[in-house]
Amino acid sequence: MKILVPVKQIASLDDQFEMRDDGRDVDDDYFEKDLNEFDHFSVEQALLIKEAAGDGVEVVVAIVGDDDADDALRTVLAKGADRGIRVWDDALAGADGIVVAKILAKLVEREKPDMVFTGAQSTDFGSAATGMALAGILGWPHAAVVSHLDYTPGAPSATLRRELEGGLEEVMSIRCPAVLSIQLGINQPRYASLRGIKQAKQKQVDELSPDDLGLGEDDLRPASNVRRMYVPERGKAELITGTAAEQAARLAEIIKEIRGM
Amino acid sequence: MISDPNPQDVTRILFESFPLWMLVTFYVVAIGAILVFLYGIWSQIRKYRRGTRSGAWTPFWPRLGTMFRLVLEHTTIRRRAPVAGAAHMFIFYGFTVLFIGTSTITLDQDITGPATGLHFWKNGFYLIFSLAMDLAGLSLIGGLLYMMYRRGWMALPRLDYHRPDRSPEDPDYDRSFYRREDWAFLWLLVIIGVTGFLVEAVRLVWLQHNPLVWDYRWWSPVGALLAQLMAGLGMEPEGAAGFRMVLWWTHGILALSFIAVIPYTKIKHIFTAMGSLMARDAQAKQRMPMADVEAERIGFSQLTDFSDKYLLNVDACTKCGRCHEACPANASGYPLSPRDLVLSLRELANDTLNGARMPAGPIEVIGTGVNMIRPETLWSCRSCAACVEICPVGVEHLPMIVQMRRSLVEAGEFDTMLQPTLKSLQKSGNSLGESKRKRPRWTQKLDFQIKDARTEPVDVLWYVGDYASFDPRSQKVTITFARILKAAGIDFGILFEDEQTAGNDVRRVGEEGLFQALAEANIELLNDCTFNSIVTTDPHTFNTIRNEYPEFGGNYTIEHASSMLERLIREGRIPQPAKLDYRVTYHDPCHLGRINGCTEAPRQVLQSVGVELVELGRSRDNSFCCGAGGGRIWLPDPPELKKPAELRAAEAAEIPGLDVLVVNCPKCLNMLEDGVKGTGNEGNFRVLELTELLAEAMGLDKKGAEEDGADEPGRSAVSA
Repeated sequence: MKILVPVKQIASLDDQFEMRDDGRDVDDDYFEKDLNEFDHFSVEQALLIKEAAGDGVEVVVAIVGDDDADDALRTVLAKGADRGIRVWDDALAGADGIVVAKILAKLVEREKPDMVFTGAQSTDFGSAATGMALAGILGWPHAAVVSHLDYTPGAPSATLRRELEGGLEEVMSIRCPAVLSIQLGINQPRYASLRGIKQAKQKQVDELSPDDLGLGEDDLRPASNVRRMYVPERGKAELITGTAAEQAARLAEIIKEIRGM
Repeated sequence: MISDPNPQDVTRILFESFPLWMLVTFYVVAIGAILVFLYGIWSQIRKYRRGTRSGAWTPFWPRLGTMFRLVLEHTTIRRRAPVAGAAHMFIFYGFTVLFIGTSTITLDQDITGPATGLHFWKNGFYLIFSLAMDLAGLSLIGGLLYMMYRRGWMALPRLDYHRPDRSPEDPDYDRSFYRREDWAFLWLLVIIGVTGFLVEAVRLVWLQHNPLVWDYRWWSPVGALLAQLMAGLGMEPEGAAGFRMVLWWTHGILALSFIAVIPYTKIKHIFTAMGSLMARDAQAKQRMPMADVEAERIGFSQLTDFSDKYLLNVDACTKCGRCHEACPANASGYPLSPRDLVLSLRELANDTLNGARMPAGPIEVIGTGVNMIRPETLWSCRSCAACVEICPVGVEHLPMIVQMRRSLVEAGEFDTMLQPTLKSLQKSGNSLGESKRKRPRWTQKLDFQIKDARTEPVDVLWYVGDYASFDPRSQKVTITFARILKAAGIDFGILFEDEQTAGNDVRRVGEEGLFQALAEANIELLNDCTFNSIVTTDPHTFNTIRNEYPEFGGNYTIEHASSMLERLIREGRIPQPAKLDYRVTYHDPCHLGRINGCTEAPRQVLQSVGVELVELGRSRDNSFCCGAGGGRIWLPDPPELKKPAELRAAEAAEIPGLDVLVVNCPKCLNMLEDGVKGTGNEGNFRVLELTELLAEAMGLDKKGAEEDGADEPGRSAVSA
């Protein structure tokens, strides 16, 4: 019995930053790298299932990223995941969720997990596409924004709840294996002490390249490309106060200003 | 075994007129009592040795010397309890003299006499000892009677054993066993003392026709007085002989029973307190125990994780209640009393480690069972070290609490509110969830550049610290301190983005791995810089760099800002400040005052700015924590409880006409401002940092006040 949990190392942005020279991203200097907030919850969900089942459940975490991403991987290994897989090649620098999903699909072929848990989305780009794309490639059922899960390892189906718009909740059962995108708040993620993170260095991490997984250059071409990233100009707002006459005068003034009169 | 007294000499009447069977009985009982005593001592030592080895008694001789000095002077026992301390001294010296006296009789009677024929228990030696023993008996009984009065009639809260953190149905709620034991102990010793005098008196009446006895009776003044009284009441020598036999045996059996029960009752504190004081770590308040972060386990979760020293510590506690009274958590209604923590551990050890065999499984310490330590108890601690400071027998509560917290942190069992803080510390080296880049942002408010100590040599490296860097209120103080340094012409620099929290609170909250990583990174950074000394406005940072970094290879000269300012004023580097017309009081930060003994420099600065200082009821080493320490500043206080800072603000509010409550720590500032608001004293007096008061006296507050207004919370402008 195996659960695969793909995680992501996200960039958290400082409140003062500068753009990269090519204008397609923020300068690296203004990031701090961190484990995606949602992934704390997906990992926790896998660990809770592992602990409830006693022995016999393996939790494998996978990440697509350069060696910087080892920090994120070690954090989840410290929480109790059994081993890690890191996939990287410099050609992946511009990878989008679809490319990542292709890589993960190859990992699923290789690892043959019974379930895949992803975070509902990443906190930096927020596309929420990877889990869905992975399920699509695999032809597995997918549930997004899972806020509650009843699943016994090895069971043919799982029962889950999803958060819908307007405060609605949906209860559904899903055929396993499946890809579930886990929502914040489904559980209470545990803390990984720094000591634990250091000791997690001893856990097995397989480093693979797309090539090892049988993916060629064409497979790694992103479906989308960032053309420009910028800070939109701020809108203006002003609270007009005073008597009706004063307010009207100010309003007239503003209209004149805008029309350049 | 027995020898005839030399009729030419005065000597102690001991077994006179005892038939052989009585002598045999006495020796059998005496030897039996000593065997029971020795077995008890051995089994207690076995209990302590079931903990890990601490090596706390080396170097042996200097520690022994220090301990004897403390015990003989009663230094620790008299603190904050002068009368009880004096009474204890009477008991202690009375008991000691009587014990030595009785021992020398045994020596004379059973060892030197039979072995060499040498008897020294006669003549002048006997007479002087006879007098000394009488005075010692008086001293003992007098001390005991005062203690009975104290326990029975003074109704001191510190001697109330009821546990505020338990409900009446809990088996460890009232601890009435301790109360009964206290009284049994007092009565037993009083009766031994009184029967001793009575046996002396009836012996005199009985032997009143023996001039060797009667003529020297005033060398036993108490006995002689009683004898005069008894004879005056018509007691005859024959009757006295009968009484003497009864009283002699009563006294003897009680005294031997006393010896036999020492290791099994509170009387054992005679030994455990001495052993505990001898093992006392002079840095227990300052430096938390080193731990191997690479090891399989960390911290204390099982009783056998505790060292022999800590197991002895908990057995040394005499329930004097001084820690219970001093603890800010206990005073504010949190479920922590250092006394109860220690007594729970003691009872747990007595229940599990006293048998011939160890229990099969691990002895878990943290949990909700009887005599287990509840997690919420451990999280209530503010690491202010008031308990360690005042404990007369050298119990080190704080390191034990930190060790237990380590195991909780490792198991992930802590308030969920703490998790974002620890993650922020892991990620960006500060506890406020801010990015590294933002750390030196406050410097933008200055009209001058601060040197970058990472790239150029400075005389003074200023370690700013977390709250001083990020907290909007503290930033104003930080800016003020920078201006003072500039005005004094100090060549100083900071570490800008690369400074991370020094880690005092990280260590005390129990995240030892993170603390060590921070310490190592900071030391590596500091060692790459060129400077002569470090200054910081934060007492927590001060304590950790001063006392904890040396163990990681970071040896620096460090001053707290207030000490530096005092020095600069004294050396004339800061011109004599103008006089301020305020009535102020001063709150000693725990980590500066009690923990590091820096109590006078801040007061001298206050003196130099001419304010009228009215001391708080609890100050200097007895200061009352603001509640921020030990990571508690990161944890919300339940609204139904009084915050320690509110108690402190109320204490300050009792000072009539108070203008300013002066603090000297960014965390105290944060907590006490809230405390002042929480107690509705906002309009009555202000909370200011010492630095701010000095800046005002130097006229620096006017200059540049308009461009001040430190970072308000929320987002600042985005630059693109």
